[in-house]
Amino acid sequence: MIKPLALQTWKFLKSIQLTIVLLALLMALVVLCTLAQVEMGTAGAVNAYMRSFIVWRQFAALPFPIPVFPGAALVGLLLTINLTGKTLELKRTWAKSGLWLIHAGLVVLFAGEFVAGMLQVDTNMSIEVGQTVNYVQSYKNMELAVIDVTDPTWDEVYSIPDTELSRGGAIPIPGTPLTMNVKKYFANAELSNLPAGQTSMATAGVGPSVLVVEQPTVTADGEMNQASAFVEPTAAGRSYGVWLASAAIGAPQSFTHEGHTYLLTMRLRRLYLPYAFTLKQFRHDVYPGTDIPKNFSSLVQVVNPSQKESREVLIYMNQPLRYEGKTFYQASFGKNDTLSVLSVVENPGWLLPYVSCVLVSIGLLVHFAIVLRRSLKRRQDQKEA
Amino acid sequence: MNFLTKYLSWIAGGLALALALTFALPSGKVRGFDASGFGTLPILEGGRVKPLDSVARNSLLVIHSRQGFRHAGHNVGPDEWLLDVLFRPQVADQQPIFVIDDLDVLGLIGAKQTTARNYFSFSELGPHLDEIQKQAATAQPIAPQKRTRFQSSVINLFERVFLYYKLRNTLQLAGSPGLAWELQSLGSKDANLRHQDLVQLAHFRILPPTAGAPPEAWQSVGQALTTANMGGPLHPGLTPLAKMNAAYLSNDPAGFNQALADMNGLVNTLKPDALGHSGREVVFNRSQPFFVGMIIFLASFMAACISWVYKPEVLRPTAYALLFSGAIVHTLGLAARIILQGRPPVTNLYSSAVFVGWGVVILGLLVEKMYRKGFGTAMASIFGFASLIVAQHLGEAGDTMEMMRAVLDSNFWLATHVVTITIGYSGTFLAGAIAIAYGVRKHIVAVQDIETDRVLADMAYGIICFALFFSFVGTVLGGIWADQSWGRFWGWDPKENGALLIVLWNAIILHARWAGYVRERGTMVMAIFGNVITALSWFGVNMLGVGLHSYGFMDQAFWALTGFCASQLLLMAVTYAPPRFWLPRNDSHA
Repeated sequence: MIKPLALQTWKFLKSIQLTIVLLALLMALVVLCTLAQVEMGTAGAVNAYMRSFIVWRQFAALPFPIPVFPGAALVGLLLTINLTGKTLELKRTWAKSGLWLIHAGLVVLFAGEFVAGMLQVDTNMSIEVGQTVNYVQSYKNMELAVIDVTDPTWDEVYSIPDTELSRGGAIPIPGTPLTMNVKKYFANAELSNLPAGQTSMATAGVGPSVLVVEQPTVTADGEMNQASAFVEPTAAGRSYGVWLASAAIGAPQSFTHEGHTYLLTMRLRRLYLPYAFTLKQFRHDVYPGTDIPKNFSSLVQVVNPSQKESREVLIYMNQPLRYEGKTFYQASFGKNDTLSVLSVVENPGWLLPYVSCVLVSIGLLVHFAIVLRRSLKRRQDQKEA
Repeated sequence: MNFLTKYLSWIAGGLALALALTFALPSGKVRGFDASGFGTLPILEGGRVKPLDSVARNSLLVIHSRQGFRHAGHNVGPDEWLLDVLFRPQVADQQPIFVIDDLDVLGLIGAKQTTARNYFSFSELGPHLDEIQKQAATAQPIAPQKRTRFQSSVINLFERVFLYYKLRNTLQLAGSPGLAWELQSLGSKDANLRHQDLVQLAHFRILPPTAGAPPEAWQSVGQALTTANMGGPLHPGLTPLAKMNAAYLSNDPAGFNQALADMNGLVNTLKPDALGHSGREVVFNRSQPFFVGMIIFLASFMAACISWVYKPEVLRPTAYALLFSGAIVHTLGLAARIILQGRPPVTNLYSSAVFVGWGVVILGLLVEKMYRKGFGTAMASIFGFASLIVAQHLGEAGDTMEMMRAVLDSNFWLATHVVTITIGYSGTFLAGAIAIAYGVRKHIVAVQDIETDRVLADMAYGIICFALFFSFVGTVLGGIWADQSWGRFWGWDPKENGALLIVLWNAIILHARWAGYVRERGTMVMAIFGNVITALSWFGVNMLGVGLHSYGFMDQAFWALTGFCASQLLLMAVTYAPPRFWLPRNDSHA
């Protein structure tokens, strides 16, 4: 009973009907994702359609979102199974070697996109000329940083990521006597002056004079969520008041406990590196007499104490630096050409598309050569006949 | 007669090439002035050194949508027009060159639209300049894809007027007595202010870098005057320019030509290569290979169509010969662009249209050589013609050899990714075109000819395989370029998605055929839909205005694209319908 069913399923999974249906679904998803980018931004649309197993849709009449379409992750997974099934089914003969290579290459390509979707980490690094930076920061994710600035030569940074803040409750900060009570967390909020007669949850810092209004989160490119939270640091049974920490508040706020001064600040999530970059020079060349950019380049000093390494690297267009599993690309600039922004990508599967490209290209060439030879032979036979 | 039928194809091909050659010949002098010699002078504009002739043609294209016009009983060419704008603005201001089609903009300047009154001169627009500028300034901050038709049109008019205004204030301030007077009044009271205006408004830099200056330090007249006014050395180019200006004003051709020769001599000493380079570009400009190619392709298409009903043994080779000549002209034009620009063939939307057309034509020639049915010729010539028309419209935006933005500045990737993906477009389009021929033919011919149908289906199948190969490899190469420059292989950017759609669609066609779900007719219907997908991913995604590839933004082609897609859907229906479905059935019980 089970065996025939499994056989049936396997037969269905590797059928060419399914191939065509899946390819058509993928086309539809690509079109939808492209159109959705106008409203949702690239990252938002890709997450909704491409990096999801199911496309959900919230209708006004319903209290919960309902699935409306299979997501590209699901389609891609089925297509990979379908491809693998088809490939295994191919006769292992030289005549089919081209097809083998093509299908194997496609499986690698899909695997590459899966790895990228699951494991790729996109961050960036902004450095001003002369500045030294030893961290990369997230584009969207926030963190509440608690920084012990007591030692003037050394900042000790403790941070709570936004995912933990959104759960709320008491969060002990390891390495310090502090515990952070998250009273309320807003993924995105708008801050304004508190009108007279209203009171704030905050009791310390700038918070008591600020009105916080929750906003829907944004995903479009170039838009930022202003994450905000009411937090109450406590230590040894003593409360230091309720503070408002927000990405919209520029200046950090501080309190002192047992001789240690702690700064509280909501900022883009940082990831500290065991090495540091110093920007020595940034160039923004234009074509003579125009504003058309000709080249952007950053001359960076890479200092890595663990490797006893200190060297200069020029990062420019189409010429990134691959270093310790991360790749640094010249992405943007600002502050009258004194600030350089490098986008930083960590993708363990970055080689897979290259492998796939080689496999499929060779496969297509081999296959077409075989087909051409066969058809030439047929013509020859016809002539002789 | 016998001789004619025997050699008609050779004669037609030869005539087409001769026509192309006549375009390349230099024109005579204008009222004795060496206008084309003036057009050969090299200048720096838009980041590259080019001849004044290119500035004249591109500006006239932007302002007037054509490279010449007829005024006061004679044809004014681009070089003559530019001479007037630069040196005799009082004359140029009277020439009706500003095209205004938008009814609301016409209403703004108080003119009622009549059939003959779409062209306005600068002096006629004069009283409305403040209003045009005000309206344009209001519309400017709005994102291009959100502007109303009126707003886009008024901004477009403002930009054209401003371009003209800059040109007439580049070598001398319009309304001033001229450059010679400017040189005499160096150091006078208001000189500095006038020089600043000249610096601000200069559209191009005509004075080559002096000995010892950096090789890119071309100067505008205003910059050189400012230097001289502050006691610096007088740029040696100012004197011959001032002489040309004075001679042109006083209608002294000999003096003008002499001053031009002096200027050429000076350019030759300061920038030895510049004159030769700009001379070559002038020949290219004058030849207009893509315009000539368009005419030849049209002739070829007509010959191919007639050949199906009349004297096929004579006209089919003639059509092929014409297509071949057109391909030669097209190829030469493409090669000239590659040499002049020092870049691979596709660098922007304009050149992609030229290249897609070229790819279709070359593929068509090969297909015709293999199958000899006349369809390869007909479809290649009509598609070559259509793509060059599209290119011509895209070229109206200005200089088609503009400099590449930093991120695209990579000859290696332009040569590999962009060229392969564009060949993929060509293949998909040719397959679609052959499918259209198949569909239309089914309904027209009196006797169904299974043999021809099968040949057409074979052609389309082969070309789809070819297109799948190139679009797949091109897409993956694009991914690798993206990985090299942006850090991700695939970012679901609209243009990437467009390329992927072409790959997926061609893959679906082939799998459906291999599995036997579609046969001859179904494959053909699907191949026509390939045209829709290719057109959308080529132009449609640029209209979304999002993503890293949106540098090729355009707004006016929207309706043209919609019309094209609708026509393809109609053709799909026609192809799907059985032949003669409109005739009453023979077996009906009447």
